[in-house]
Amino acid sequence: MHWGGALFTLCLSASLAASYTNNVPSAISGERYNEDLFIRPLLDGRVATTFTFTTDLLEDVLRDSESSGQHYTLFPLTLGQILEEYSIAELHLTLNSGKWDYDHWGYPDDPSVGTGAELWAWMADGPSSTIDERWTGLRNALAGLFCASLGSLDMRRTSSPSTVFPISSSPSTPHALRYANLPSENVCTENLTPFVKLLPCKSRAGLATLLNPQRIFDADWHGLNIHLRSTEKGTELKLGVQAVFDPVRLSGGRRRDWSFRLLFDRVIHNSCSVAGSSVVRVQVPDGESHALSPTFVADDSAAAVYNLITQVPLDVSMSWPYEHTFQYPRVHQSRLVPLSVQRTLHGSSQIHGLLFIALTNNGQNDIVVGYFENLPALVTLWMHTMEIKVDGVKRDDLISNVTYHPHHVLANGQKSPSTFQATLTIPAASTLHLSMEVSRAFLKYTEHPPDAMRGWDLPPAILFPVCDPTMGICNMRNTSTDVRGRMYTPSLLIDLPTPDFSMPYNVIIFTCTLITLIFGSIFNLLTRSWVIVRVED
Amino acid sequence: MHWLQHLPRHCLFLLACLAAWTLAISQDEPVANFFGKHNGTSGHTNNWAVLVCASRYWFNYRHMANALGMYRTVKRLGIPDSNIILMLADDVACNARNKFPGSVYAKSGRHLDLYGENIEVDYRGYEVTVENFIRLLTGRVDPSVPRSKRLLTDDRSNIFVYMTGHGGNEFLKFQDNEEISAFDIADAFEQMWQKKRYNEIFFMIDTCQANTMYSQFYSPNILATGSSEIGENSYSHENDNDVGVSVIDSYTHFVLEYMEGINKTSQVSMQDLFSSYDPVKIRSHPGVRSDLFQRPLEGALVTDFFGGVSQAEIFPVIEEDADTTLQYITRVSFPDQVVHSDPVSPQAYHDQGVDMTKSNAPALTPEKDNMMLDVRWKDIRKWTSITIVGFLVGWVSFVR
Repeated sequence: MHWGGALFTLCLSASLAASYTNNVPSAISGERYNEDLFIRPLLDGRVATTFTFTTDLLEDVLRDSESSGQHYTLFPLTLGQILEEYSIAELHLTLNSGKWDYDHWGYPDDPSVGTGAELWAWMADGPSSTIDERWTGLRNALAGLFCASLGSLDMRRTSSPSTVFPISSSPSTPHALRYANLPSENVCTENLTPFVKLLPCKSRAGLATLLNPQRIFDADWHGLNIHLRSTEKGTELKLGVQAVFDPVRLSGGRRRDWSFRLLFDRVIHNSCSVAGSSVVRVQVPDGESHALSPTFVADDSAAAVYNLITQVPLDVSMSWPYEHTFQYPRVHQSRLVPLSVQRTLHGSSQIHGLLFIALTNNGQNDIVVGYFENLPALVTLWMHTMEIKVDGVKRDDLISNVTYHPHHVLANGQKSPSTFQATLTIPAASTLHLSMEVSRAFLKYTEHPPDAMRGWDLPPAILFPVCDPTMGICNMRNTSTDVRGRMYTPSLLIDLPTPDFSMPYNVIIFTCTLITLIFGSIFNLLTRSWVIVRVED
Repeated sequence: MHWLQHLPRHCLFLLACLAAWTLAISQDEPVANFFGKHNGTSGHTNNWAVLVCASRYWFNYRHMANALGMYRTVKRLGIPDSNIILMLADDVACNARNKFPGSVYAKSGRHLDLYGENIEVDYRGYEVTVENFIRLLTGRVDPSVPRSKRLLTDDRSNIFVYMTGHGGNEFLKFQDNEEISAFDIADAFEQMWQKKRYNEIFFMIDTCQANTMYSQFYSPNILATGSSEIGENSYSHENDNDVGVSVIDSYTHFVLEYMEGINKTSQVSMQDLFSSYDPVKIRSHPGVRSDLFQRPLEGALVTDFFGGVSQAEIFPVIEEDADTTLQYITRVSFPDQVVHSDPVSPQAYHDQGVDMTKSNAPALTPEKDNMMLDVRWKDIRKWTSITIVGFLVGWVSFVR
């Protein structure tokens, strides 16, 4: 009875508080919906925007087995059914396109910026066959829901790196992780359409009216993400859209002034009536050379806040009235993140190559970071050729906790991916070079995609914060030079040796011709008889 | 007593007459009347569309635009997204080469965006394969395939199958990698017929030598049309100078132009559509195959295949009668005149001449009486034939 009374008072007080502050009747008990748009002008004239739509379910839908059915008002039923069906505790799906430039754009608001499709889920544990079955069902259900080809995230791309993607709650029963990514996945309007349909107000009111596909998919970097996890209060669903726009390009190369009309080709006319809070926050750059309109309220982190519930219609615009033409910042400007990473594949042979990773520490303290690679069986990493060098000097002490699972053949003849995980220490103000020889796979004729000459995409490598054993507890150190959240490298394009696809046709034609000639000749030799024919004069 | 010797023969003759009478007025007729198979109407209750673009790469933009133009038309005419399977072998709207991201245009001048904001592509990219297409048609899909990727038709579904890509004599290329032949499609349709997965199929194909693709069909209720004869190419219609490639094919362009003049209430027939083909403008000779199609083409409406229009007539509730077990009669019929698919307003009743007042209730009872009479005749026939058979058996056993 305690939890009943507590829940009731929580709901009552939440609704009272909400109605007192916002004058919005949040009469839907047990569910809360908030929306947020954060706009950050960047130094190179671009504008990073992050939409976050959060729906909180105050009761625990995933473990409440006595519930008589799934009755939601704000929480999307399709996702609820998927979670219930496959016993998912935590689900993360991202669909991104582009390359996130950490050096000039800083950290993204949502750390999952790996190119293509990335899906990982913590599921209630059981025999591995049921986990894999549920993983297949989950992939296909999400593929159908979001019109994405997630069905190809099968066991050839799935692994289970539980230190890289830890579960955020602490569940009572054991859970298992499944992680897969597909870097060559395209993101387009057919992924955005069902995404917007998961929101309570869809694209008619609130912040989602700004989601114009013709502008979002024109951005230099764009991504959709779905994060669903259990918290101690219940279930939290976060739907997000991130996009990095380029007003300088949109304005013909002259000015970096932006507004909703320029970026999204839309303005917000109505606010979503079921939203508990609906705000637009703009990070105001330092200095006084800019102008931001309309009038705003500043919050404690020096960001301008517009409350959509009271301030509609809304068209935020920022301009630099004293700047005639925008000048790009110089190359030597300091980098915005302490760690820069570059990953390349060297080698011109079709059989061998060299995977080369350069990690540059821009700060004055050593950085300890974890490194994770999940490569499909297209390449084989040779661990014995791994070399760690700093300024040309071999430094094997900088790598520890190496875990390597080479790819192996599964029961159905496919090959599992190879995973490589290590903890690296990069000394202050220096560059660490990690290199490893790889050999490229020779695929069967039927395993090549229709556009085999394009090559294959290798998934991005992930740098993740690690627990420092000297600290005792697993949290990030407090220095500002540490890695915050996960970082993703760009994906790589690899050329595998392709066969001559016309050879089967050539072989058939050639063989048939030979057999015809040989058979024909021998048959004639054996059976032809010469007869003298008298011709009359 | 010679007539007694002939009695079994007479009884058998009488029995044969009764059997013939029963067969003639068979049970199927009220059912057929209910579904409106009389008057040459289609008898379908739902519409599906399968739109396939089988080519990949940027220079095949026009094939994607073909399929998207058909998608827009069938959506406009009423088929919902849940009943449309759209297969696009490549992504042109968000392609890096597209100067207008998120948009696909079918005409130079770029006035109408076919991609829009509300689109669901069910099979995209590498998933568009011959195997997936045949599995989709026949219904033999893996259990993990989600609902939006299945063709959930029944025997009252009219299906519009549209295919476009590069093809030739009795084949169509999928993604420049594999081919589907006319025999494969014919066999798939036959499987669908055996499994009662369609009522009628309208097959439209726009490739080179397209008419050969429907030459091998052998299942009933299929109407087929193609864009060019054997030995003929199908040409693209126009280029757009800013997109940089051809944006639409000739045949599909003219079909879509014709369809722009059609809305949900249109009475235009398939024969009108086929008569509008102009080989000079299309620059190839489109063909039609209607020998497997049982209705006359003048009676088949374009919206039977392209639209999701159902025609319903709702009669008012009748009084409860102590004699009959039928409490409410809601008779759904398919009359020749069109009723809007919007919710019926009282105004429509007056237009139809059906009055909502109580005085009209007795007008329905003669129908009810007719039905009672039919039931009584059936009973009489049944008992008469049973007595005759029993008499014959008894006579034979008694004599022997």
